[in-house]
Amino acid sequence: MSFKVVHYINQFFAQIGGEEMAHVAPELRDGFVGPGMALNAAWKGEAVIVKTVVCGDSYFAEHEAEAKAQILEWVKAEKPDLFIAGPAFNAGRYGYACATICSAVQTELGITVLTGMYEENPGADLKDKVLMVATTNSAAGMRKAAPTMAALAMKLMKGEKLGASCEDGYMPNGIRRNFFEKEVGAKRAVDMLVRKLSDQPFTTEYPMPSFDRVPPNPAIKDLSKATIALCTSGGIVPKGNPDHIESSSASHYGEYDITGVDDLTAETYETAHGGYDPVYANADADRVLPVDVLRDMEREGKIGKLHNLYYATVGNGTSVANAKRFAEEYAQKLLQAGVHAVIMTST
Amino acid sequence: MKLELGYIHIKDIQFSKENKVENSTLYVDPETVKAFMYEDDDVKAWVKDFTFDVARPGESVRITPVKDVIEPRVKVEGPGGMFPGVISKVDTVGSGKTHVLRGMAVVTAGKIVGFQEGIIDMTGPGAQYTPFSKLNNFVVVAEPVEGYQDHKHEYEHAVRIAGLRAAVCIGELGRNVTPDETESFETLGIKEGIEKYPDLPRVGYVHMLQSQGLLHDTYVYGVDAKRTLTTIINPTETMDGAIISGNCVSACDKNTTYHHQNNPVVKALFEAHGKTLNYVCNIITNENVYLADKQRSSDWASKLCRLLDLDGAMVSQEGFGNPDTDLIMNCKKIEQQGVKTVIITDEYAGQDGKSQSLADADPLADAVVTGGNANEVIVLPKLDKVIGMLDYVDVIAGGHAGSLRPDGSIEVELQVITGATNEMGFNTLSAR
Amino acid sequence: MAIRNMRDYLILTNNPLVPACMEGHGDFTIQLYPDKSYRDILVLARDMVYEGHTLYTHPLAGSVKPNETPYKSLIVSKAVHGFDMEQSTLIANAIGVVDKFPEVHKDFPEQVLKDFQLIDYSLLAGAIDFDAVAGLSNKK
Repeated sequence: MSFKVVHYINQFFAQIGGEEMAHVAPELRDGFVGPGMALNAAWKGEAVIVKTVVCGDSYFAEHEAEAKAQILEWVKAEKPDLFIAGPAFNAGRYGYACATICSAVQTELGITVLTGMYEENPGADLKDKVLMVATTNSAAGMRKAAPTMAALAMKLMKGEKLGASCEDGYMPNGIRRNFFEKEVGAKRAVDMLVRKLSDQPFTTEYPMPSFDRVPPNPAIKDLSKATIALCTSGGIVPKGNPDHIESSSASHYGEYDITGVDDLTAETYETAHGGYDPVYANADADRVLPVDVLRDMEREGKIGKLHNLYYATVGNGTSVANAKRFAEEYAQKLLQAGVHAVIMTST
Repeated sequence: MKLELGYIHIKDIQFSKENKVENSTLYVDPETVKAFMYEDDDVKAWVKDFTFDVARPGESVRITPVKDVIEPRVKVEGPGGMFPGVISKVDTVGSGKTHVLRGMAVVTAGKIVGFQEGIIDMTGPGAQYTPFSKLNNFVVVAEPVEGYQDHKHEYEHAVRIAGLRAAVCIGELGRNVTPDETESFETLGIKEGIEKYPDLPRVGYVHMLQSQGLLHDTYVYGVDAKRTLTTIINPTETMDGAIISGNCVSACDKNTTYHHQNNPVVKALFEAHGKTLNYVCNIITNENVYLADKQRSSDWASKLCRLLDLDGAMVSQEGFGNPDTDLIMNCKKIEQQGVKTVIITDEYAGQDGKSQSLADADPLADAVVTGGNANEVIVLPKLDKVIGMLDYVDVIAGGHAGSLRPDGSIEVELQVITGATNEMGFNTLSAR
Repeated sequence: MAIRNMRDYLILTNNPLVPACMEGHGDFTIQLYPDKSYRDILVLARDMVYEGHTLYTHPLAGSVKPNETPYKSLIVSKAVHGFDMEQSTLIANAIGVVDKFPEVHKDFPEQVLKDFQLIDYSLLAGAIDFDAVAGLSNKK
């Protein structure tokens, strides 16, 4: 008995065509297609690609829900031991599709998945969720990527213990694993220092958590003349969540008018956030978005005025890229509205 | 300053009525060692008795709880004696000739506090994590006098001294033995170094010493490191017994006296010296609890790096938690002086490997070497013999209620194993 | 960071050995919270740091792991000296470190508890040049 594998590739690797054919809808073929041959060969019969899903990159991007539903149905029927996608190298939409469909197969069907792509491919945003082999940035790297993916895939199918990322060739996924190096740490450290001193590339063994520090703006001299806006990632929305902001992994933010609103009440506002106990936020949303306090300060003359619009999203598992995009957009709106300062609340 | 080390290979240890080294075997009479240890008044006052044992590589033996590991050496030429300021007079060491009994160690064991950790397995899965499983270990288990419970500081001191004295006593047996191998190490004066290696980058080693309190101390020429200002020391001095360990908490990433004697960073820098870099000197700096001390010491370390005109600095750490702050402060300030750094640490990333590894971080720490995740769980099988005691496995760090299973195996985190994730880079263990 | 001024030391602790050995032997003030946990003491200090008190000792002093010892002592200033971003990051990170260690319910023998108290006390004493051994012999 050999392991059963379903492979996902795009229209280009299925040799249907390039960008001009990226609109093709998903289709299911028997056996391996294109790069599947190399994987199949590497497994030497221990595992076999039984079906290949081919889908156009544009189609997947523009009809994600339909594409996902269709592919999940096919994969479910096949009950494979592994679902493998790509490798996508530096192709952005292909990488996105590989990562997204793998994530769906993994969470919804509980099937082990593996993909591969270049580390800077946008699809690699999901590397903490989906196991990904790091490849070069062009398809010329197939010769190297295929054996790595095949070997790692076999390990997964056999249920063997995963090695460290550098041993098994996957992208660091936020899970630290021990292993034995060839040289002792001090020798590795001295070698690293010599490289650093001569401006040669070196790889740290522990990348520092990423910092995105923003230097603070100069302080506002006179708060009593300043317009202050409120923003939150705590998911405070008008009751009923009119913009349908997702409770996690938000894809958008909302802009809400609070002209004449003195106090957020249980009848008028609520939280859309799915990552914390909503009871207290729902009972009194001022706890997250302090409109009441700001109104008091406005009346007392401590601040000039509270801006009439607030911006809100849900910070629960929302990707950094999305969060950045939201803020870049509404920061411009705030600037145009002449807002001097923003109070950003989190949860 | 030039030091020659003569390595006398020790391949076995035998208890005997005679004391000698012959054909790579150490013959030793424990009574002689005991008598030498008891010559010290503090040892006499606080240690009721010692028992002795030998643990050889591959034997089904577990040593626990380990206090210190020491390599027996003897000074045969040049100024000073072994462990200056503690056992010998305070004369400067690091030059002349020292004989080393290579391939063995004195291991002190026995509990000082009830939660004491430190396991050396001589075989099985645990053995690959501790460098001391590869040595022939002369194990000294100390038993305290009655009433020691109210005098832990004194008792810790006595056991520390006893271990050093045992190593001195045994090291002495190598005085008149012809070494199997010799190696020499030399540090040049600042100007000489520049003249000799005008084109090589100048590199120093910032050696951080644990210095927080009882069971968390390090001594330099007998001085408690928490009372020191950051200073310069010749690498050969550290190889010659100038720094000793009084640290017996966080077994996996504490530096034993053996680690100081055989500092791997010093070794690696000497190997590269004159080839890819010019090894200038060591800078020793402490890891104090008081925050202003941390600031002062790290300011000082960076200041010295600049003053010495270093191009690069290695920084090694000791211990868990707050030394991360010292490490990052040192790294950041040294980098801000324009001196490039590589830091060596270990990780506490949780049993699942998903947590933030360090208590502190900075983007300037862009070159890190890790000794691995100390929280990783390991099952150590029952071994035939225990030297020391297993009483408290359930309460040690990395253990839990039920760690000691009915079949005698123990489920623990790597942090209980002596030297497992050493932050001087002594081992090959790493993590990604 | 403020210089050493014992009168400004407020020792927050859940370790009974600290007042037993130190009370009356210096100008510092000791607040003992016998019912608070290791983490509670850190949170208490964090809130004070947020209010502008100075943190004098590192919250993770000692290599004894936070899920191992139940005791924690640290020193903050009595006076408010002003908000310090680095200090607030330090104490917040320390609580993060505590939270990553799994909670292990251990029934410690009396002697082990005493040893944990001793280590915590000794680290605190070491931080401020208080003679730990003398303190023990004066123990109330």
